Amino acid sequence: MALPPPDPQFVLRGTSAEVHTLHFYCGGQEPDYPILFSGSSNGLIHVWNLKTRRVDTILDGHGGKSVYWVEAINGRDRLLSQGSNQQICLWDLAEGRNTVTDSVFTENVGFCKSSLLKVAQGHWLMAMPGKDLDEPDFGSCPFLLAGYEDGSVILWNLSGGKILSRLGCHQEPVMSLDFDSEKKKGVSGSSEEVLTVWSLDEQQNLKVQKTHKLVNAGIADVAIRQDKKILATAGWDHRIRIFGWKKLKPLAILNYHTATVHCVSFSDHSRPSERLLAAGSKDHRISIWSIYNQTSGALHCSLETRKPD
Amino acid sequence: MAVFDTPQEAFRILRPVCVQLTKVQTTENVECLQAQLQTVSDSALQELQEYILFPLRFTLKTPGPKRERLVQSVVQCITSILSTTCVKKQDLLQELFSELCLCLSSPSGLQSPAPLSEELKLTVIQALQVLMHSAYGDIILTLYQPSTLPHLGFAVSLLLALAEQEKAKQIKLAALKCLQVLILQCDCQEHHRLLDTVETRQCGNLFASFLPGISTALSRVITGDIKQGHRVTVSAIRLFYQTVCLVMADEQLATITQDEEKPSVEQRVSELVVHRGPDWVKSTADKLSLLIHKIVEFTSLHPHWKVRMEFVELVHQFMLKCSQSLVESVGHLLKALVGLVNDESSEVQSKCHEILRSIAELRTVVENRALADILSENLLSLATALPRLMNSQDDQGKFSTLSLLLGSLKLLGPKVNIVLNSAAHLQRLSKALIQVLELDVADVKTVRERLWDSEDSLGEPSGSLQHGKGQKKYFRFFFDEQIFLLIQQICRVLGYYGNLYLLVDHFMGLYNESVVYRKQAAMVLNELITGAAGLGVDVLHKRETAVSTEDLKGTITSILEEYTDQANWYLTTSIDTEGTSDELTVKHSRVRAIPRGAHSSSLISSSSPSSDPSPTIRSMNSNIWQICIQLEGVGCFAYVLGKEFHLLLASVLYPVLEKAGDSSLLISQTATGTMVDICHACGYDSVQNLINANSDYLVNGISLNLRRVAHQPHASRVLEAMLRHSDASLLPLVEDVIRDVLSALDQFYDDRASSFLGVLSTLVAALVQWFIVGKGKEHPQEQNLEQQSSTSSQKQGEGSVIIPMVQEMEQFFLDYIKQSQIAEGNLPAMEEEEEEVQAPPAEPEMNDSGAEGETPLPAHAQIAKDVMERCIHLLSDKSLRVRLKVLDVLEFCVIVLHLHENHLLPMAHCVWPALVTRLINDDPLAVLRAFKVLCTLAEKCGDFLKRRFSKDILPKLAGSLVAQAPVSARAGPVYSHTLAFKLQLAVLQGLGLLCEKLDLGESDLNKVADACLIYLSAKQPVKLQEAARSVFLHLMCVDPDATWLFLNEICCPLPYEPPHPSLQPVKLGGMGRQRTEFTDNVLSLLGELQRQETATFQAGLQEAPEPQPPSLTEALG
Repeated sequence: MALPPPDPQFVLRGTSAEVHTLHFYCGGQEPDYPILFSGSSNGLIHVWNLKTRRVDTILDGHGGKSVYWVEAINGRDRLLSQGSNQQICLWDLAEGRNTVTDSVFTENVGFCKSSLLKVAQGHWLMAMPGKDLDEPDFGSCPFLLAGYEDGSVILWNLSGGKILSRLGCHQEPVMSLDFDSEKKKGVSGSSEEVLTVWSLDEQQNLKVQKTHKLVNAGIADVAIRQDKKILATAGWDHRIRIFGWKKLKPLAILNYHTATVHCVSFSDHSRPSERLLAAGSKDHRISIWSIYNQTSGALHCSLETRKPD
Repeated sequence: MAVFDTPQEAFRILRPVCVQLTKVQTTENVECLQAQLQTVSDSALQELQEYILFPLRFTLKTPGPKRERLVQSVVQCITSILSTTCVKKQDLLQELFSELCLCLSSPSGLQSPAPLSEELKLTVIQALQVLMHSAYGDIILTLYQPSTLPHLGFAVSLLLALAEQEKAKQIKLAALKCLQVLILQCDCQEHHRLLDTVETRQCGNLFASFLPGISTALSRVITGDIKQGHRVTVSAIRLFYQTVCLVMADEQLATITQDEEKPSVEQRVSELVVHRGPDWVKSTADKLSLLIHKIVEFTSLHPHWKVRMEFVELVHQFMLKCSQSLVESVGHLLKALVGLVNDESSEVQSKCHEILRSIAELRTVVENRALADILSENLLSLATALPRLMNSQDDQGKFSTLSLLLGSLKLLGPKVNIVLNSAAHLQRLSKALIQVLELDVADVKTVRERLWDSEDSLGEPSGSLQHGKGQKKYFRFFFDEQIFLLIQQICRVLGYYGNLYLLVDHFMGLYNESVVYRKQAAMVLNELITGAAGLGVDVLHKRETAVSTEDLKGTITSILEEYTDQANWYLTTSIDTEGTSDELTVKHSRVRAIPRGAHSSSLISSSSPSSDPSPTIRSMNSNIWQICIQLEGVGCFAYVLGKEFHLLLASVLYPVLEKAGDSSLLISQTATGTMVDICHACGYDSVQNLINANSDYLVNGISLNLRRVAHQPHASRVLEAMLRHSDASLLPLVEDVIRDVLSALDQFYDDRASSFLGVLSTLVAALVQWFIVGKGKEHPQEQNLEQQSSTSSQKQGEGSVIIPMVQEMEQFFLDYIKQSQIAEGNLPAMEEEEEEVQAPPAEPEMNDSGAEGETPLPAHAQIAKDVMERCIHLLSDKSLRVRLKVLDVLEFCVIVLHLHENHLLPMAHCVWPALVTRLINDDPLAVLRAFKVLCTLAEKCGDFLKRRFSKDILPKLAGSLVAQAPVSARAGPVYSHTLAFKLQLAVLQGLGLLCEKLDLGESDLNKVADACLIYLSAKQPVKLQEAARSVFLHLMCVDPDATWLFLNEICCPLPYEPPHPSLQPVKLGGMGRQRTEFTDNVLSLLGELQRQETATFQAGLQEAPEPQPPSLTEALG
């Protein structure tokens, strides 16, 4: 590759604390702008307006303890956030409110993130970590994938509460995992220098498909883009790595942050050209990248799509 | 005179006179009749009208030659009768009409007027006019029957002949006026019967027969000799359009059908009658258009404004009434009208405007396809000819050509899209605009460098700056600012009516096509957008659909993307870019299209070969202008979008600020103007607010650009501009990025140091400005006060005047002991107090990474410390320039840090070796600067540096001073301009303070005194003597007694008697010496010393009578 890796499209500053989690919300109609939720180590949740690139609202509900999971439900009006004060809060953000309407106490004191599955309109299923869980993720409907501190990934059947399969794929704790329910395969990162891709066969067995050896140890987060084309990892070595999802081909190393990258997240914007990648880091910055989404000839495109009259 | 009211009485009186006249036709009788008429009332006269007229008409009708005098009086008499009565019978009217006409005609040829006296002609014409006015009611219409056509024709031709051929102005005017009455268009005050439609049509039909004659004759009159006077021309023009409007009125022509029944008249007459069918209209219009063309040519340039005014009215009437029938002339007429919009007479101007507006409102153009075609054809031919005309015409001519273009555009209104939709036409129009707008880039002044001093004014909110006041541009083809304004309007009108996407797309294409077009295309684009938003555009009718803000925003966003694209934004604008933009420039020359031979020669000659590796002045000028125009564009867009521009700030503000820090004066000025525009648009009241409120965008841009080697200078420039324009509240925001800068500097010590040093020096200067000068204003003063008081308390007054007593001596010793105790025991306590006072108010944002220091440093101090660390390394840079700059930065750092001694001192320790090297063996310039730093450092660090100074530097300094002294003593006046002199001066000026601040020991002070003594010599340049004296003055402060002694060793003016016999007599080295070269200075110093001491002594006396004369201590000690 002759081309040098790109620079971030822009960088969001002002959290004044380490950024632990990111969540895009782009579902709104045209007058609505895409927003990004970020949770940081000082317990604040920032709601970023990606059009003005500024903070719209700051939510404070975790008593100064770091927030490590946020997710919007029901449009942008409801938000779930999980903090290390062992609380999962439900926020009401509609019409400019910002109040905690409900909260759940979790037993877990680790860094495991919760996971959410939309069962039907208005119904969600949330998996939240118990005492020893590490990283849960949903597969298809009744299944739950969870990564554990002993380096294993376990597939649970929720209806029966049974372990379907267990795969010990890492020597170190699993830091993060993501699953592609179309191709029935997932990826997990741990604190060692290996990225593992495993697959789920018809018999609901997990099998290691491929491992990728990294130069520097520690993957804090993995994310597969919604179109299942690329995979991004957040590295402890300050770098974001981009892989092709199909063959785990390394595509790019995005080098911007000056400290550990804690999280990566892809936006699900309706226009592919505006899909972004965000990464939050220990250096208090959130970098926004526009990569592999074919943006070229912007001027001419925009002019030609309008009919002259 | 009695008035006879009843007809009977009147008849009685008038009968004899009438009879007499009938019998003998003489002038006297006619006059007699006229006299009698005065006595008759109007009503009676009306009754007797025919009776009285009879003899008069009889007189006219009698065959044979008549005396003109008689005819004239008869006609006058008739006129007077008719003016008070009215003609009620149509026979009488017709007869009178023809009789009067006959008076004018020559008996030989009927068609030509008789060679009569001018008075008579005038009288007859007036009589005719009166006759027409006296016709009662409908009677007048009987004159306008097909049957009377010959009579009418006769009268018309006579009058035309008079109007055309007569010499006398009055007759001409009267004839024209009469004709006007004849075509029923009299504009006099009297009440006229208004014709209904049918009647008008009849008249129209009738006059159609005369139209050729009338129009030809009148056009001859109009285009005749200018000497005939403007009134004749004016009324001829009026008559012309009235006639034409009567005959060619669209309204009438529309109602005329093919087979209208022929009026039943005899054969001969019916031949004269014209049927106004389409064919006739067509051929007449053709002929008329020739005449109109002639008239337009002549009158639109007529020197008298009233003529031009009437001509404008002519256009108005034609457009109003005959725009369809005369469609072929409309182009001409409009062209002339548009040309007159900029007439020198304001009346004509405003009338033109008014008429243009009314024409536009009539929507004749918009709805009339033919007219639109004509106009667009006009437009195109004009566009084609424009470049040629621009080359050949003078400014006046160019002005009228362009106003013509503008006028056509305005009239076309929305129809302009017909032209724009054709690719070829659009091409032609755009090329014309682009060629006209070609800039003159030969001016050397453009590349002028900005002076950094003038930069300070930028921070002020220059709210008075008006929008649209860009830099004055110099064009190749014109100089007049007015012309530029016209072109501006043309572009705006285009943007207003035209299809914005089409236009923007086209001009963007041109922008990208060639570097030759780029500037002009950008200029046009800027104006197009302004016009599209409907700002600053003067139009005749409103467009139906305005461009929506969303569309505008989209368009502007894409234009801005193009403007701020690397290839268009980073251009070589100066030779001295420190090699940083080399790689960029090379890239650009490939990106930019090289002009091919296809362009016109004028363009080629001005184009710079962009493949040329070394930029010429011309190409740099061109680049500078391009950037300026783009910057102005940004300002325009901000103005257009108003508050909406906020969203674009994220991408635009950084590039603009980058240019605000540009080294070219023109660019930085323009960029500042743009920022002011943005402030206005987005509602910020100052540039400072703008920067503060959007610093997150800027910081983002800076930190991203710092990552790219080639853009680092730009990024640091933006940071510089930010710092320059903002205040302390910015610091928390930029803190982050300053770290980036420092780490970037760490990466590129070797090649980029100088570009980063600029930003570092701005940074620390800003820190000093914000935190030391601003906040700590009180501290230094307090400090000084305390120091002064403390030093003054140590000082003792010299009281040689007062003879001390034993008691006093005892007291003195007691005090001496006490004071030395104070000096040892209490001073640290005092310092602590000082420290407390100096400690800055707790900063809200403490730096977390204050690991090195025991107490966390406030952010600004931490930054200064970090910068200082870098400086240590850079102090030994290869380049002298860098070293000098570093020394500057260092000085600022020291000032910022001086409140945090426990950080400053370790830093001073680290800096010391490098600084010493600069002081000892470096270029004199660097030594000079380094010495200044040393002074500042000494001032802030105090005696921390004492030992180092006396060990590392003092010997060298003293040595060099001593070594240099003989040179300066011998030197001539030129010496004061040399570097050596400046160095000497600086050292001498600083040394005193250094001694004081560092609290040097006795031996060091002696060294200093020894070295400086030579400079007290009268042989030295005056300035050096002064400086040397200042050293001694400082020494006096430190140790007055030692100094006193030292000086007295050189020269002692007074003998000192011991105050008590038990004391030994005083012997001083300088006693009884001859006057030497040092005497003057030493004496003045001693005098100063004494004055100081006395002052302190007296001040002390007022408080408590403690201090004693110090000279005694010396004498005793």
